[in-house]
Amino acid sequence: MNIKNILLRALYGFALLIVIGAFAFKIFQPIKVLPRIRLAPAFALTDQNGERVTNEDLRGKLILYTFSYTNCPAPCYDMAATMQEIQSRRDESNLGDIPLVLVTISFDPARDTPSALLSYAETLSANRPDWIFATTSDASLLKTIIGGGFEAYYEQKEDGSFAFTPTYILVDGWGVIRGEYRYSTEVSTADRIIRHLAVLADEAQNATGTAKLAYEAAHLFLCYAQ
Amino acid sequence: MMKARLTLLGGIAAILLAAAAGFYFLRPHTFHGTVLQSTDTAYDFTLHVAGDKTVKLSDFRGKLVVIYFGYTFCPDVCPATLGAVTQALRDLGTKADEVQVIMVSVDPERDTPEKLAEYVRHFNPTFIGGTNTPEEIARIASLYGIFYEVSQQTTGNGEYLIDHTATLMVIDRNGSMKLVFPFGVTGSEIAEDLKYMLR
Repeated sequence: MNIKNILLRALYGFALLIVIGAFAFKIFQPIKVLPRIRLAPAFALTDQNGERVTNEDLRGKLILYTFSYTNCPAPCYDMAATMQEIQSRRDESNLGDIPLVLVTISFDPARDTPSALLSYAETLSANRPDWIFATTSDASLLKTIIGGGFEAYYEQKEDGSFAFTPTYILVDGWGVIRGEYRYSTEVSTADRIIRHLAVLADEAQNATGTAKLAYEAAHLFLCYAQ
Repeated sequence: MMKARLTLLGGIAAILLAAAAGFYFLRPHTFHGTVLQSTDTAYDFTLHVAGDKTVKLSDFRGKLVVIYFGYTFCPDVCPATLGAVTQALRDLGTKADEVQVIMVSVDPERDTPEKLAEYVRHFNPTFIGGTNTPEEIARIASLYGIFYEVSQQTTGNGEYLIDHTATLMVIDRNGSMKLVFPFGVTGSEIAEDLKYMLR
């Protein structure tokens, strides 16, 4: 056997190893990640304490957004309950030092003044800065932020109530949307979000140095957590 | 006997070399910016540019579009970032023809299309600088994750400054936002990622 043949075999062997490796990574998915879907919108809103809150204030934190209004007549899809559950079970996500902030943006600024938001927050025992309730009186910008940026549908009806799709959006410390939860699944939304927070925390804590390559491979091979 | 041993050694060396070369050439490109997975078309916006003209983001479909939000009174951050982009395009050589750089003003009150054109020309004559009404700029900036506000600080000659998110975004040839660079990215890092996207 001449050297040329050996070299060729070695090359074929190596290519085969790469292909097998790629398949194994895809099939066994040793690392799970969440997709980096798109950029979250920028905003400046007024919170329950009458203070300004912007997306830049929240940079470096994991943020779970939801969109609602305090005058939602019963039976109203209760997103606050899911938010409360996530807050009380945050330890299950092993977030370590990574701060988690819940943000409820109201699409009813006419009635949801800071004092109305504060009373609502108090009924839920929600405190700033862990759980922020906010809105803006600029209706056009509000539509851009919630409808355009977060792609969460809402529309005011003639009786003053709102038609809306219950939506939760998970954003990472870079301002990138990593999870969108719009529909009920067999697993409760709270369970899924808590699991996804753990996936994000794992990536934030471990994707450094050479390990970053493995996490990037997981993104490349779409090894997404369910 | 000697010949067979030499052949074997040569074979082993060849395998090691092939493995090293294979690993080097087949390793995935590590982007310097954050890669976004959405294939949705990025929000299409219109800008007023010099000469009473308008341009739309979608006019540049088929090219990579590098978008930067800044303003002409910007003392340091904007020139540093646009300087890095200028360097990156220089590194790309003729491939730079396939990249369009657009600066969107976050200072629609003071930045006129003419002023913006003059500003970006200092960096590269192919760069486009544009603006729109304050309402539309607020909308575009929000949808591109750019926060901005008038700062309390002023320059030496009394002009107010504007604080703004200083990221740099790349729209791919199909019109989807693919890459976001943080502030501080260097020209050669931008060039490496653009080269990979243009391959």
